[in-house]
Amino acid sequence: MTALQVSHVSKSFPGVKALNDVSMTMTAGSVHALLGENGAGKSTLIKIVTGIYQPDAGSVMMNGSPIRFANPRQAAAGGLGVVHQERNLVTRFSVGENIMLDRLGAHALSKVNYAAIYREAELWLKLLDLEVDPRTPVSRLSVAQMQLVEIGKALSLKSRVLLLDEPTASLTPNESTVLFRILRRLRDDGVAIGFVSHKLEEVFDICDRVTVLRDGINACDSADLTTLNRGDVVQMMIGRAERITKRAPRPKPDATPYLEMRGYASGLGHRDITLSVRPGEIVGLYGLVGAGRSELARSILGLSKQLAGDVRVEGETVHITSVAGALHSHGIGYVSEDRKQEGLILLHSVLANGGITIWRKLANRLGFLRDRTVNAQVGPILRRLELKTPSIYQTIGNLSGGNQQKVSVAKWMAAGVKLLIIDEPTVGIDIKTKAYMHDLIHELAGHGTAVLLITSDMPEMVDVADRILVMDGYRIKGEVENDRNYDAVSKAIMGFIHGQQAA
Amino acid sequence: MAAQSNTDGRLIRAFDNDWIGPGIVSAVAVIGISLFQPAFLSSFNIFVLVSAISVNMVIALGQLVIIGIGQMNLALGSIGGLVAISFVGVIEKFGVPVPLALAFGLGIGVAAGMAGGYIIARTAISAFIITLAGLQIFKGINLGVTEAQPFYGVPDVVKAFGTGSVLGPLPWLMVPMVICSVGMWYLFNRMRIGRHILAMGSNPHAAELSGIDPKATIIWAHALSGLLAAVAGIMLVAKLQIGQPTIGDDWLISSFAAPVIGGAVLSGGRVSVGGTFFGVVIIAIITQALVMFNIDPFVVQIVLGALILWAVAINRLREVRITRMQARGAGA
Amino acid sequence: MSHLATEADPPAQRAARNGRASGGLRLLLSNEFGLAVLIALTVLVFSTTLDGFTSPFSLFTIGRQIGIDTMIGLAMMAVIVTGGLDLSVGAIGVCAAMVFGWLVQMLGLPIYLAIPVAVLFGASLGFINGFTVVKSGVHSFIITLASMSIFFGIMIFLTKAAAFNGLPPEVQAFGKMKFFKTISPLLLISIAMCAALAAFYNLTALGRQMLAVGANTRAAELSGIRSGRIIMACHMLTGALAAVAGLMVTARTGASVPSMAGHLGQDWLLPAFLAPVLGGTLLSGGRVSVMGTLLGATFVTVMTSGLLLMRVGEFWILASLGMMLLLAVLADRARQQFLTNKGMI
Repeated sequence: MTALQVSHVSKSFPGVKALNDVSMTMTAGSVHALLGENGAGKSTLIKIVTGIYQPDAGSVMMNGSPIRFANPRQAAAGGLGVVHQERNLVTRFSVGENIMLDRLGAHALSKVNYAAIYREAELWLKLLDLEVDPRTPVSRLSVAQMQLVEIGKALSLKSRVLLLDEPTASLTPNESTVLFRILRRLRDDGVAIGFVSHKLEEVFDICDRVTVLRDGINACDSADLTTLNRGDVVQMMIGRAERITKRAPRPKPDATPYLEMRGYASGLGHRDITLSVRPGEIVGLYGLVGAGRSELARSILGLSKQLAGDVRVEGETVHITSVAGALHSHGIGYVSEDRKQEGLILLHSVLANGGITIWRKLANRLGFLRDRTVNAQVGPILRRLELKTPSIYQTIGNLSGGNQQKVSVAKWMAAGVKLLIIDEPTVGIDIKTKAYMHDLIHELAGHGTAVLLITSDMPEMVDVADRILVMDGYRIKGEVENDRNYDAVSKAIMGFIHGQQAA
Repeated sequence: MAAQSNTDGRLIRAFDNDWIGPGIVSAVAVIGISLFQPAFLSSFNIFVLVSAISVNMVIALGQLVIIGIGQMNLALGSIGGLVAISFVGVIEKFGVPVPLALAFGLGIGVAAGMAGGYIIARTAISAFIITLAGLQIFKGINLGVTEAQPFYGVPDVVKAFGTGSVLGPLPWLMVPMVICSVGMWYLFNRMRIGRHILAMGSNPHAAELSGIDPKATIIWAHALSGLLAAVAGIMLVAKLQIGQPTIGDDWLISSFAAPVIGGAVLSGGRVSVGGTFFGVVIIAIITQALVMFNIDPFVVQIVLGALILWAVAINRLREVRITRMQARGAGA
Repeated sequence: MSHLATEADPPAQRAARNGRASGGLRLLLSNEFGLAVLIALTVLVFSTTLDGFTSPFSLFTIGRQIGIDTMIGLAMMAVIVTGGLDLSVGAIGVCAAMVFGWLVQMLGLPIYLAIPVAVLFGASLGFINGFTVVKSGVHSFIITLASMSIFFGIMIFLTKAAAFNGLPPEVQAFGKMKFFKTISPLLLISIAMCAALAAFYNLTALGRQMLAVGANTRAAELSGIRSGRIIMACHMLTGALAAVAGLMVTARTGASVPSMAGHLGQDWLLPAFLAPVLGGTLLSGGRVSVMGTLLGATFVTVMTSGLLLMRVGEFWILASLGMMLLLAVLADRARQQFLTNKGMI
């Protein structure tokens, strides 16, 4: 029985066609995997289904009738439960109250009947095998338990369609196993479950159907997962293996490492981190969500306390305590994965964003500096990056994702950093700019910049990095020399990560 | 291990109980001062003290409900003032009977609060700026109507209410305070609207995804705040025996000080009626003590400001501590 | 839902297409233009209908008031830049004025020395605010609420609420001074300050850093700006400007009066917010309009003076100012909505 049918949905944002004629059919009593790389269109599809976006074309049907939810609340009331990647609970409230938050009383001044609420919540908790008292404050639960509470909340609204976005991203293997047992039972009870994940093992473990998106189109539409093997799915997700572009072999740099860390421990929980990046070298840092990669970048920049170990820049032991210090004293820059919140100042112009790192340097003795002075430095770089903007005074929030990303790299090029940490450089940008970014990283390294590349995009990693450090649980698990043989390298990386999980 | 986490749990709960700290401070202050000044516990002084506490508690509750939703209400005092003069005004000028005037005054408070709440909910403009405009508008209407002259026609029954005692040294003014406090405690802990206000305050995104109507909740909170401001305004009329247009002018600082001393988090979602009560008590004791020890009354301003800073610091430290304990608990 | 759409991906092409064509419309919808038209209209109406509105003395007092309100507005604007606010501007202004009075009257310090000392004193009170805000991580609202009470309380305690009435006659003479029978030097000082601040925000590294930190503190910090220091600098600038405003009021009255900004200095709050908000300064930070603040203060003063001449009670004017603030933010919201719908933002 078809529970949720997405037919020929398209959605464009200016500059980018996020979804193009995408279809997906979820049936009751089945766990349906929705796969795709970052930026393939998964989250846009989920947002369309739940009413956050309206599609440009196509339709969404639930139980045979077309739906168009105006907002997520309507979707929930309409029987479509979504458990988002981030937790959406009122942590000071009890478990039961969170589950029943929209049913605390008939009208505003109703007395909350806690006995009844806890009784009903208990039913859902029992169904989920969650052995917590519904009176417990959510703040005392583990992340996995919170996740189950959210599932319980969705189910308590009589959801027959349940979408789970990266539900295992922050769970331990044991917790995942528990979650899967429950999902199977819900499936057997006739719930249609949508499952978004990066972890293919899990997908093969629990899902029976699969829809793969690639660059906004269906790489497959609700295929039977039993007829596919892992290689097929990977193939569909990343396209051809030949996406690993041919590049001239790069000389192996043997200079003193620009950055070297030994036995480093941070206040964020990193332990025993040892790594080095040489000038002209591109070192990849691979790991799953929550492995502590971006956090390591932040620690290098001095945003968390160094608890142990030795950090050297150009062979000298240093103590970096602020981003300003990292930039001005040590020539280290950081391209954030969160372009809109941390990378750019969307309210300000292209020029202001491109020049922000060098204002201090360019200002004259009285602190004055003029646009012309800044542009003399930033302009040539923007032109070299072929930035498409009506003018350098354009508000950067109005540019496309790819062009925004160019500016967030350009500001570090303008500052002439010696080490650039690049975090997820191609999330949410189009294919062409993506290839361009990869070339740009190589070009930077070619000019002697040391690059530390963080990405969860395996092909990108294999395409760009010279050698790859594998990170899991805030530790470095191993190192893989990148010979650009995709299968071998990805297998070696996964080996390091799963070696940990088996332990 | 189980025992360990149990003690941790108890500790967390102890730190979590917002009224304990201020409660102890109040008790120590009362004992300490009465040792130096036995007159402190004279029935007259208790009467004066409790009267002041009663009015200030209702004022603080009016701010507390807005703090709960993560906003602020600068117009609290000007609503109270407007209600005060309207209440006496209709009695003096039109001979309206007291119960009707009371209903009229409370109605104005609710309407004024709701109007601000409606604009905030509808436009999502910051509560600060809307209530700043409200402050000016209500104050302007107040002064425009009264020409800055007080109304003297406070009926005897109201005067008696403001100066009489219900039991021994306890003033009648205590009654509305107790009703409001218990009512607000019940609201925050047992009523749908109170829970929704706190849910909105602690995590607006989650609250909205859970099906709470954010606009209605915001309007409710401001209406309640207006109502409490109105009650406080009328209580002050009774206490001062006169319809002063300046009523409400000096509410701003103390209305924030007491909830913050009582452990309220200004970003919302965390308020304590009990803590706020002891916050009010501490402020009242300090004010009284300064008078008794013949210290310049302007020092009160300084002390109030310092108290706010001190409380903010304590709240922050405690927050950090609880988070750490919980992190340890979750890790174990 | 429009905010979600812009969040997802910006209407780049549309904006690019409209880029030039919308320039004219955008100007017409700008706060500055709207204010200029409003000011012109009100001046026209008042000067034709009200006797004495254009008399030299009336123009002089209006101009002097514009000067003072502009300075108060600039003081608040300097901290709104960070997305924060400063409730203690009035208290700082009065404190600085009292320090000036004390220095001149009690210590006999020459005026030209007392002025910079008073301004520095204002800046240091601002520093106390900024330092506490940055180090505690608590919102500036509650910090400055406390400091307003503390600053004002200490000032009253030390002065016993008595004014410094024995200032040299030059002080009052300055407040009464007229160029061309109509222009007060106080207005000129404010206009000069506007020009200086406009240059500061557009042409100096520090000014740009302030805007960057205000628009997005995290992004600015991750771009190597020491955002804590910048926020402290903003509060210091606010303190200094509030001190200047306090001195201007002292010049107008010819004395340093503790009650010149009302209880706790609260009377300054409305003009302090009204001028920048009318002028289009974003309350969330990151964008200022110095020119708009000047125009905003001008509009408010012209309206107030006209209404006073119309014998509208002083108290009703108070209410109408509150109404004006309300209408200003509502109009601003409508304008933004319009521009967003047209894809111009």
